[in-house]
Amino acid sequence: MQLPAPLRNFYERWLARRLPSARQIVLDQRRIFIFPTGYGFFYLLVAALLFIGGINYENNLILALSFLLASLFMVAILHTFRNLSALGIRNGDSESGFAGEEGALEIVLFAQRREHHCVWLRWRGQDGQQISIRRGEEESLWLNLPLAERGRVMAPRLKVESRFPLGLLRTWSYVTLDHYCLAWPRPKESLDCPADGGKENQEAFSSGQSGNDEFQGLRSYIPGDSLRRVDWKGYAAGRGLNTKQFEEPVGGRLWLRWDRLPGIGEEQRLSVLCYWILQLDQQRQPYGLALPGLTLAPDTGDVHRWRLLDALAGYPDF
Amino acid sequence: MQALDKALAQVGRVVLGKEEQLKLALTCMLANGHLLIEDLPGMGKTTLAHALARVFKLEYRRVQFTSDMLPADILGVSVFDPNTQQFSLREGPVFTQLLLADEINRATPKTQGALLEAMEERQVTLDGVTRPLPQPFFVVATQNPVDQAGTFVLPESQLDRFLMRISLGYPAPEVELQLLAGGDLREQVRELQSVITSEGLIKLSRLVGKVRASHELLDYVQRLLDATRSDDRFVAGLSPRAGLGLLKAARAWALLSGRDYVLPEDVQAVWPSVAEHRLSARQGGSVAAITQSLLQSVPVIRR
Amino acid sequence: MARIYQVPSHTRLWLALAVLLCSLPQLVKGPPWQAGLLLLVILIRWLVEQQRMTLPGRMVRSLLLIGAVVLTFYSFGRLYGPEAGVALLVSLFALKYLEVVQQRDAYVVIVLGYFVCATALLFSQAPGMFLYVVLCMTVLTTCLVGINHSDTRASGLLHGRRALVITLQAIPLMVVLFLLVPRVAPLWNMQVGGDKARTGMSDSMSPGQISELSESAELAFRVDFQGDMPPRAQRYWRGLTLSHYDGRTWQQAVPQGQPESEYLYQRGSEKPDWYKRLEGRRSPDQQYYRYQVIAEPTQRRWLFSLDVPFPLYGDVSLAKDMRLVANQPVSERFAYRVDSVPAVSAAINLTSQERQLMLSLPEGAGRKARGLAHQWRLESDSASDIAQRALDYFRDQPFHYTLRPPRLTVDPVDDFLFRTRRGFCEHYASSFTFLMRAAGVPARVVVGYQGGERNELGSHLLVRQYDAHAWSEIWLGGHGWTRVDPTGAVAPDRIELGLREALENSEDGRDLLDDLGLRRFSDGGLFAKVSQLMDYVDFRWQTWVLGYDSAFQSEFLEDLLGAVSPVRIAIALIVAVTLLMGLYALFLLWHGGNERLTLMEREYWRLHQRASERGRPLEAGLTPMQLCQAISEQWPQAAIAADNWAKYYQKLHYDPVSLPNKQQKRHLRSLRNRLYKLLD
Repeated sequence: MQLPAPLRNFYERWLARRLPSARQIVLDQRRIFIFPTGYGFFYLLVAALLFIGGINYENNLILALSFLLASLFMVAILHTFRNLSALGIRNGDSESGFAGEEGALEIVLFAQRREHHCVWLRWRGQDGQQISIRRGEEESLWLNLPLAERGRVMAPRLKVESRFPLGLLRTWSYVTLDHYCLAWPRPKESLDCPADGGKENQEAFSSGQSGNDEFQGLRSYIPGDSLRRVDWKGYAAGRGLNTKQFEEPVGGRLWLRWDRLPGIGEEQRLSVLCYWILQLDQQRQPYGLALPGLTLAPDTGDVHRWRLLDALAGYPDF
Repeated sequence: MQALDKALAQVGRVVLGKEEQLKLALTCMLANGHLLIEDLPGMGKTTLAHALARVFKLEYRRVQFTSDMLPADILGVSVFDPNTQQFSLREGPVFTQLLLADEINRATPKTQGALLEAMEERQVTLDGVTRPLPQPFFVVATQNPVDQAGTFVLPESQLDRFLMRISLGYPAPEVELQLLAGGDLREQVRELQSVITSEGLIKLSRLVGKVRASHELLDYVQRLLDATRSDDRFVAGLSPRAGLGLLKAARAWALLSGRDYVLPEDVQAVWPSVAEHRLSARQGGSVAAITQSLLQSVPVIRR
Repeated sequence: MARIYQVPSHTRLWLALAVLLCSLPQLVKGPPWQAGLLLLVILIRWLVEQQRMTLPGRMVRSLLLIGAVVLTFYSFGRLYGPEAGVALLVSLFALKYLEVVQQRDAYVVIVLGYFVCATALLFSQAPGMFLYVVLCMTVLTTCLVGINHSDTRASGLLHGRRALVITLQAIPLMVVLFLLVPRVAPLWNMQVGGDKARTGMSDSMSPGQISELSESAELAFRVDFQGDMPPRAQRYWRGLTLSHYDGRTWQQAVPQGQPESEYLYQRGSEKPDWYKRLEGRRSPDQQYYRYQVIAEPTQRRWLFSLDVPFPLYGDVSLAKDMRLVANQPVSERFAYRVDSVPAVSAAINLTSQERQLMLSLPEGAGRKARGLAHQWRLESDSASDIAQRALDYFRDQPFHYTLRPPRLTVDPVDDFLFRTRRGFCEHYASSFTFLMRAAGVPARVVVGYQGGERNELGSHLLVRQYDAHAWSEIWLGGHGWTRVDPTGAVAPDRIELGLREALENSEDGRDLLDDLGLRRFSDGGLFAKVSQLMDYVDFRWQTWVLGYDSAFQSEFLEDLLGAVSPVRIAIALIVAVTLLMGLYALFLLWHGGNERLTLMEREYWRLHQRASERGRPLEAGLTPMQLCQAISEQWPQAAIAADNWAKYYQKLHYDPVSLPNKQQKRHLRSLRNRLYKLLD
């Protein structure tokens, strides 16, 4: 159902006022809405038909049956409401992704007062997920979030919904969590690596100088070599005493620099940096990143890559 | 108990005018947690760590972290012994009872990570062999303030492994005068007498677990934690692990104060040093100010 | 589209149970193929569940549906009407259950279940049946809970518990709605089960008919007296007056040329002259009985009442022969309320047409009897004298009261009076009336019931078929129609004690009692008590639940609300429902003590509040000790008292070694009171 634009805007503003965002929210009657489902209306129609039947057959018991149906409905209002009431929701982790793809946010649900059954969580345009939480416990689930553009993508308004126990009524609440997902820039291919320390090139050249980052090979032991560099496994296998040699890229490590990409827009710069972070990561190169206001030292590995990408996503507020 | 007071007095002789910080450092040791001292160089961080080791008669090592340090430089390395035809572990400096990790944020994240993992698990795994670290095992790490150049910021998840963070700050003028007149501090440290043995310390830290906390107090701790989680001024709230740490520190503080049950005052005393380094404020906020304001606004008694 | 089985496994058994339970009343009552169909469906579902077969396709289901329709037509001869309709509904219910795949199908099955439950109530309105239907509703609710619980680990038993809780909470609300929702008049009229034969009185009387009835212990009607109950000997429940005799059978007759409108007075219509006279004769000091009768269905229009009935409510009319007539045949239990005033019977006149009818006798029958009557007439000087002579005749001659009279041959009147002389009440009533008419006294036979058994629990009266009786009425100038019971002359016990005792006291009666199995009703043991209790429940169910119609309701609401008006009813309804819902909300949404402060907590906040009021406002985050320091700063004279309080409080509240006892709490309060005095 789509409301006309002015009405929609009004509704959105009203909701935002009524349900301000927070990092942790416990649902109370102010936030919970309740309305019969389609089946609920059908059920009431059945009760009404039985009422008419009872009247026409002058049968008090059929009347009583229709009243029982109506009473069950009324009691169900309370039970349905209760299922959502006092449910706590708060931020969990987040999983970043590239702009244009999907990230994910973790939502933690906690039940302080009672158990909550079959609660559906979803935000606009996404499939819902269902979860039950036992009293005094916490459960979490991940909801995918489309990342339209680079930066912090705030969590959309989350709809928390439940029809438990009878399916006659639907109770729901909107929760705006103060939670965000980082959208990394979309990688943009470029030929020139905006890095220094690598002879204007991304290739790592052997400098002959022993560094300590990349294992290069063995040479025979020379007295004075650090014992920590001795290839003890090889020695044990009878290959003689050798020293492990490590290689360090020319001019120290590669530094990807913002300053080396003049003349193009901010987003473009970030996209190019992103592309090269991924490239260098694939080549298992140690690389660092220098952005205005943030410098991250060279390293390799997944965690390092994520840190750099997150920095790109967060630019310019880290 | 008297031994603890004596220990405080002993350390106080070399770390002048910092009774509060001393007590916190001792609390951290009693609670079996690692300590992070954040300060500019030359504020007496090393003296404090050394003094603590002396007083408790702990095996002490100091490692100055640098950017070209490798994990093996801390943990150790397997060495093949041709005589026995076997690998033997050459233990790194981490195999000690009190490790002073000086300027930890100068090392690369990889090296930092290796230390922090050892701290968390209290054991070291090298080439598939797991070796436990000595008992007790404390890390006192020092860190330069973040904005200094050439440093690798400790990520939040790593900071969580330090039970407490304190900073010593400049000494008060009269204390500084005393300091200037006193002569070589290192000399004085060597003269400190040990008051408790390391076994005694283990016994004491077992006592910490026996300090009673009433349900009302746990409730207060929980409300404090909850307040950080629902406060918009923080990026994220305190983790359950932080909550457990807070309670443990409060227990140790109560023990140091000579009580066998925890008071809300104990929680409030350790609160800033337990909470601040695990929280980060949104733009423009000061973590210290906000954490302090929570103490004022969260009711001590439920209402 | 692929159909995925969406009804969770923990609910499938409940669904099967619901289908079985809801259909059960119809399976018992309806044609046997219905049970077969349901068993087949359940078997198929079970096999599908075991993955031995796939769900039958559309073709098979259509064939089953056509089969069910054909069988329904075969069994009932039609596809409409209540019985056939219910049979179709139950078949549809079973077939819908067969094709349940998705949640939506289960919803449809559950809704059909509600209708099936309702139809069960169409045919039986016993309290047991209603309880059974409530049970079915609980199971259906369990299914609803189950299909809405998509968690695969959920337990089916928990669904049952949840549904039970919801149903139990709904029942008080149902009672409120039942009592307060206004009853509307039927939009159109429907009758169920109108063509079933039942035991009961027929509209004519010939020898042997009533004695047949006496073999049945079935209930005829029940009476709830408001105030006094007349003694047994006076409890003549008049049903029909029979005025035309053909020599063997007595029948109802209306005098020639009398229109029904004049003969029957329906409440609310124009009052005929005779009714005005009856009313005119009523006076407040007359003895009268007020009672409610709940009649079992008879499919006839006549009703039973004591001498002269004035209908108070109920869809009934009064006939000129002082009996009540229902406006429609009594096809289900039927309640009416009556004032009976014996004294006003003299107000009824006798027109000449009526007199002619009441003296008419069949040609040729009872020659000897006519002779006897003629003789009495010559010897007597009044009608009552003649009647007395006839009664004396029955008493003095060797007449016997028996349930097994010998067959009467050609002329039943003479044969009985002069040859067999053994008979039941109808023989005596018939021959007495014959004699009276022959002697020139207007007379008629009255059939109905006499006596009735009192239920000790409910103090209401039970009238059974074996209380059926026949007696006579004769017209006495100045007194009007007067009851004469010739059976009383032969067997006074029958009138004084009832049929069972009368038979007990006669030699051939005891065997007969055993034969008929009537004896058990006379046992005073546990069985009698239980059956009295059951009858009491049934009776109250009749009067309070089934008989709760618009008239009863307005009476009840008048008692409850003072006066009945739509606004008042609406307010009462809203208030009652809101109260109940509020109570439930409180119960369901209660936080379980989370919000309640303990004594110790209140203790702190009281001091906090007092200090904040008297001095500068204090923050919430103060420990007890800090609170007292804040107090000491503002009121230095209170420093010691504050410190005492704080130390004591701290110890009690935070040292978990022992919970603070009452005495300690009292001491703490006294410390605080001492502190209060210093805060000025």
